[in-house]
Amino acid sequence: MAAHGNASTVEHHGAPHHSHVSRYVAVWIVLLVLTVSTWALAKVHLPGPLHVLVALAIAIAKGALVALFFMHLYDQQGANRLVFVTSLVFVALLVGLTLSDYATRYPLSKPPGSEGALPAPDYAPPPTSRTH
Amino acid sequence: MPANTTYLAHHFESLEKQTYAARLGMWLFLATEVLLFTALFAGYGVYRYLYPEAFREASRGLETWIGFVNTLVLVTSSFTVAMGLERATRGDGRGTRLLFGLSILLALAFLGLKAVEYTHHFHAGELPGRYYASDAVQGPGGPIFFALYFLITGLHAIHVVIGMTVLAVIGWRAGRGAYAAEYHVPVELGALYWHLVDLIWIFVFPLIYLV
Repeated sequence: MAAHGNASTVEHHGAPHHSHVSRYVAVWIVLLVLTVSTWALAKVHLPGPLHVLVALAIAIAKGALVALFFMHLYDQQGANRLVFVTSLVFVALLVGLTLSDYATRYPLSKPPGSEGALPAPDYAPPPTSRTH
Repeated sequence: MPANTTYLAHHFESLEKQTYAARLGMWLFLATEVLLFTALFAGYGVYRYLYPEAFREASRGLETWIGFVNTLVLVTSSFTVAMGLERATRGDGRGTRLLFGLSILLALAFLGLKAVEYTHHFHAGELPGRYYASDAVQGPGGPIFFALYFLITGLHAIHVVIGMTVLAVIGWRAGRGAYAAEYHVPVELGALYWHLVDLIWIFVFPLIYLV
């Protein structure tokens, strides 16, 4: 059908087809390896926030592989990349600003039972919770 | 290119421009999907910050192996969808149908494991908000964790169902020869949607199950 020499205008794959298959296979294997390693690393005891950071770093690496190679951002033109990166900027704003808001509040404004909140003696667990 | 004229909508100058426009439109839609899930992730971040102990305990009570196997299943389904698109770029509609069908089977396995997990939570009373009736986690953190758990995984599961429907329709049409090597934009956009479903799960898995 579409021979390689046929410079079809809708053909977004610059590379010859066979290399695309091997690229998909390589990305798939790396994704499997990263999934196994994030699962294994979660069982290893790591100090403090390192656990979260390692898990998120692996997730970002996997997400980047999917976006770049399965979703073809690697070989597509600028506009699509710009849209996706813009959405990531807003992800950072939404999560970052919301979390920094909560992280900088004074104890009185924290909900009862939460970390760093003042003790709330009148807090009662939900009615359907345990009876004692 | 006389073969292309049948695919070209009258308001586009060329098939190339039509393809770019369709692709850009899909990416804009995917950006809104990313932000939809980000709102839930931000909520998760806030409550995890407020109730770190409860979240850690509740997360530890989850069946991590189900989340792990589901991640492998979904990543593999993304791979088969990518291979299905590759078949479409060569004009092999039947190959696309086969690989998209395989992806749908993997998605069914994903949902089956999810159902096993949900059943377990229902029996254990690990339900959102005031329906929470488990002894496992003390204080207000437990009910909040499971509210977010069901919201995030539930919304994702809805996306899996939609994605399966999209793959089924496009795969069936591809098998009937509706697309060609010169024109397979619907196959490409359907694949993009499925990869996004995979992409979101890649972040759900560590956040809910691992950390």
